[in-house]
Amino acid sequence: MSKIINLMQDGVTVKKSACYFCHQNCGVLAYVKDGKVLGIEGDPEFPTNQGGLCCRGNIAMQHLDHPERINYPLKRVGKRGEGKWEKIPWAQAIDEIGAKLLQIRSEFGAEAVATAGGTQRTDDWARRRFMNLFGSPNGFHNAHLCWIPTFMVETAIYGWCPFELDMGSSRCLVLWGQNPGAAGMPEMHHITELQEKGMKVIVIDPRFSETAAKADLWLPLRPGSDLALALAWIHVIIFDGLYDQEFVANCCEGFGELADHVEQFSPEWASELTWLTPDQIRNSAYMYAMNKPGNIQWGTSVDQIGRPAGAAMHARAILRAITGNLDAPGSDLLTGPSPDFVTDEEMEANEQLPEEQKSKQIGSDRFKLVTWPGYTKIAEQTKKVWGKAPTAEWMCEAHPPSVFRAILSGKPYQVKALLVSATNPINSYGETKLVMEALKAVDFMITCDYWMTPTAALSDYVLPIAGALERPTITSSYGCSDFLLASQRAIPPMYERRNDYNFWRDLGIAVGQKSMWPWDTVEAAYYHKIEALGYDVNDYDEFVERYRFHFPEREYFKYQRQGFATPSGKIELYSSVLKDLGYPPLPPYIGPTENEIDDPELAKEFPLVLTTGGGFMPYHHSEHFQIKEVRFLRHEPYMDINPATAAELEIKDGDWVWIETKRGRIKQRANLTQGIHPRVVYTQRGWWFPERSMNTPELGGCTESNTNILTSTADEHCDPYSGAWANRGLLCRVYKVDESSMKGVN
Amino acid sequence: MARYAMVIDTRSCIGCHSCTVACKVHNDLPVEIIYNPVTTVGPTGVYPDLHMVHVPLLCMHCDNAPCVDACPTCASQRRDKDGIVFVEDEKCVGCLACVMACPYGARIKNHATGAVQKCDFCKDRVDLGMNPHCVNTCHQKARIFGDLDDPESEVAKLVNGENAVRLLGELNTEPYVFYIYGLEVKNP
Amino acid sequence: MSAKHQSWGWMLAVDFFFAGMGGGMLLVAGLIELFAGTGQLSLLGNIVGPLCMCVGCGFLILELGRPLQAWRVFMNPKAILTCGAWIMSVAIVVGLVYASYGLNPAWFGMDKLFWQEWGALRKLLAVVCVLTGLVVATYPGVLLGRHKGRPFWVGPGIMTLFLLSSVVTGVAAHIICGMILPPVEMPGAWNHLPALAGGLLFFQLVAWIGYLWIKRTGTTAAEAASALKWLQGCYADTFKAVVMFMGTIVPLVLVMIPSPLCQGSGALLVLVGGVVMRCLVVYAGEDRTWLPGEQKYRGRLPLGNEAFLKAWSK
Repeated sequence: MSKIINLMQDGVTVKKSACYFCHQNCGVLAYVKDGKVLGIEGDPEFPTNQGGLCCRGNIAMQHLDHPERINYPLKRVGKRGEGKWEKIPWAQAIDEIGAKLLQIRSEFGAEAVATAGGTQRTDDWARRRFMNLFGSPNGFHNAHLCWIPTFMVETAIYGWCPFELDMGSSRCLVLWGQNPGAAGMPEMHHITELQEKGMKVIVIDPRFSETAAKADLWLPLRPGSDLALALAWIHVIIFDGLYDQEFVANCCEGFGELADHVEQFSPEWASELTWLTPDQIRNSAYMYAMNKPGNIQWGTSVDQIGRPAGAAMHARAILRAITGNLDAPGSDLLTGPSPDFVTDEEMEANEQLPEEQKSKQIGSDRFKLVTWPGYTKIAEQTKKVWGKAPTAEWMCEAHPPSVFRAILSGKPYQVKALLVSATNPINSYGETKLVMEALKAVDFMITCDYWMTPTAALSDYVLPIAGALERPTITSSYGCSDFLLASQRAIPPMYERRNDYNFWRDLGIAVGQKSMWPWDTVEAAYYHKIEALGYDVNDYDEFVERYRFHFPEREYFKYQRQGFATPSGKIELYSSVLKDLGYPPLPPYIGPTENEIDDPELAKEFPLVLTTGGGFMPYHHSEHFQIKEVRFLRHEPYMDINPATAAELEIKDGDWVWIETKRGRIKQRANLTQGIHPRVVYTQRGWWFPERSMNTPELGGCTESNTNILTSTADEHCDPYSGAWANRGLLCRVYKVDESSMKGVN
Repeated sequence: MARYAMVIDTRSCIGCHSCTVACKVHNDLPVEIIYNPVTTVGPTGVYPDLHMVHVPLLCMHCDNAPCVDACPTCASQRRDKDGIVFVEDEKCVGCLACVMACPYGARIKNHATGAVQKCDFCKDRVDLGMNPHCVNTCHQKARIFGDLDDPESEVAKLVNGENAVRLLGELNTEPYVFYIYGLEVKNP
Repeated sequence: MSAKHQSWGWMLAVDFFFAGMGGGMLLVAGLIELFAGTGQLSLLGNIVGPLCMCVGCGFLILELGRPLQAWRVFMNPKAILTCGAWIMSVAIVVGLVYASYGLNPAWFGMDKLFWQEWGALRKLLAVVCVLTGLVVATYPGVLLGRHKGRPFWVGPGIMTLFLLSSVVTGVAAHIICGMILPPVEMPGAWNHLPALAGGLLFFQLVAWIGYLWIKRTGTTAAEAASALKWLQGCYADTFKAVVMFMGTIVPLVLVMIPSPLCQGSGALLVLVGGVVMRCLVVYAGEDRTWLPGEQKYRGRLPLGNEAFLKAWSK
């Protein structure tokens, strides 16, 4: 009954491909015959997944040729949202789009063209290359919610982000707002193996997540209060004498100022703000500081708490420094950018963007850290010591909410075009109502995607993009790691799909950039990246087939040789880079974006605390809702609520409920669970209903259960350092949906 | 002669449902047929003192299989050579006797074909020396498959060495899927 | 995806009813033939008995996923269903041959039907009727009682309930058939059937009360929960009103009243009670020995009519 792919039959080749449905990029073996993929399975020899493959990886074949995939370039006929399309050839699409962009540039300036991206699913350096050559500084992704502010704060302090956890000999792992058990399976397996050998795991998460259930210590803090917790940990580690005196004396600047600064931030002080007991705070700090070497695995949660985000990242970063858990065996390693292969930043042609254009980057006047002002300062330091800079497409981006506002208000200037690739902004960017208004209002919009998403449905052109099995993949942590994992395509793109790299290249050629795009295929570009490694291969595919990955020899304590890439050459607990940018050099206490202490009136109206954005199987953000083979597992949205709170609100398990913030309301079914504080609720992200009409007004039900209806991107709610907006730590209320408003819900 | 068995280590199982999906896609199952549900018990307790366990379920390939005894057409069979219980589709008339007889709910009627089907431990793969799909796909390595008659096999060591229990053991169906629970789980 | 389609349904219940009734009719016919004498039951009743079994088989075949392959159910001698199929086949044939003894040759334009002279054969057929009728009346209860995974069914009690019901519906059917086409030998055993029915109904009442009480208080938690549905839950109203009141207590009174109208209606009510009882029992089989976390998991699965299940087909 189970299929056996007859590998003995003639003509079957095995391609070393990758699953591309999340950041883990597990190795996949694809069995190909006559240009068709017969089947896939996890690659047992791939170092991260060792043959394992999660729900998402397993449906690669269903994804590959799904009846809803966009397979031909489409041009809108009729009004936006009417759903009337004309199939056109690629050449025509590129020509028309190129011509339109040139026209906009001549009338409004290159900066009037913006691009929007999603999570890392595309060759983003190619997108940045196009934009740099075109002259626009307004490219962005959901970077602000996803690691990037953390990366830049930590790089400002220690000269590179230590995202490479050397867990093999680690004795304690802090999962700060991360749930690999529902999202990053190879990582979870690694953690499970090490737990069996005695590694302690602390999970900081308001929810009793899959990972929290396996932890030694679970800290269910009030959403958004991570800053208070981090400051209290610093306090305990310093004032209870747990810090690494030698490391601090030799490698850190500003310890004295830090100690003075955190004197007030005792566990007792933090207890009220985090809803944890002083003992919980103290014991967990001890567990981390006393079980060395240890790791702090950032999760994107702290990037998503809005106003306190930057300060929280700074405080969290200080913890590694004062415990000496940096660049030592078993701790968090400052690998730096790769000196061996061509990094993404080196493929971006950033030097081609004139200074004048850089200064026009929207949002860079207010949010300096992940825009040109902050990026320039930080890159200067990293170039001095490492010789290279972080990837600009991600670490140096326009502020998305400000771009959407510019579309609507014309301030600071008009934005006339939005090129969307690998994202559905209606779903994934904060404050959905603002995003929708902007997308409906923007003069010219094109979308590159696999599917007809609500955003694609509102576009002027929709372009079919090839997916995982139809493209090669290099995994290198947004271009910032010193290792890389390489995979090849199983088959060329089906129908008339193209690789996103080729889209940007073709568009670039159409607008006059031809000389700057020497690589005609993705493989050629990738070969250019890896050639310098010196493997004896003639092309990229050969590298994949024979070598598959490059892990440089690990060097610990690099700082002894080269110092830290900061102005002082040391770890700057008291950060001069942040100070120069106009931010506090030490992390001040800032309350969660919406909270009952700073805004008691709001808390009366909205008495519960909302956390959202946490991922769950089998979806990844807004993906896979149209794959039946996984959709049946969770076919309707569920929010988590404590049974005691539900009883007060007369809500039973499975009831449809409204969750409402000042921005609006959505409905999801209630999952009564003890795994959450009685005053906290969690809503699932990503929900849209691809089985419904994509025409207006339905738009796939994208506002019905979409958690971003609830979030806010108002300037005052965003992190002042990076402009990251808040998914977590907002105030909300919950009440039952009455029967009459159930129509239209499936 | 062999006796295939599976051990599910719930201490590692993280409830990701990957085995459910892998089984489904590799066996070309219609959407409504699930051989391999993964249930979650909990969070049990009162906030914040909680525990949670995930329990992958499947056909238990019982030695004393009620489904084999119940089948009037001999479609439901147990392989003598290794204990795998399977359905010979040609012989099945869809009377549902086995569906009713199975205490574990492992058998499902396919309304399109009219017959009953279920997990067969991927016997065609096992005959070629490969593991079932659910075992291969599990990142957590929470599913261990092998020959219980071989004392060197991992399953034998786990069943004999760890506290491995059977579900509904008191019904005397002699299932060959064993579960290992963590200490905090008292009554799954 | 709903579990409702993954369990035996009303068609099997109706099969159990007709087969059980037929078996009961054959049992009663055979016993009366052997101990009271020939011709004391209606010819119609003797023919209807095997025909009921045929009707029951018909429903069974329709319930199958692959009805045209129904012949396969004769294949596994270790399975109760196979034994039941063989024995029911014999019962039908023997029952019809036995009944044919009551046929009037004149209906076929002949002076005699040759086998009607073989009185010993008639007695032998009666013995076989008793044995096969008993088996057919009992085996569904045995089948259900052996289901370890179905808390409401498991145990020896259900065999009694089914046997009782089969016999009393068989008796009731003979009463009705005898009113339509009276037996040759009157007054005779047929006239005592109402009293027999009354006694059986009394035992049926006691047996059900005992069964539910024991299930509810003296067995496992799963069994107790399944029995609760009959006392207070989703089956309670139908069980109490139709099976107990209309199907047992009222007929118990009616058959004691020596009026054809009362006894006839009482008999009809017994039949109604019998079929409804079997439907409830079969539906109660949906309750299984659930595994940890299973009900919550299945409760959240799609029902089967959701748009996303049909939206994209290749």
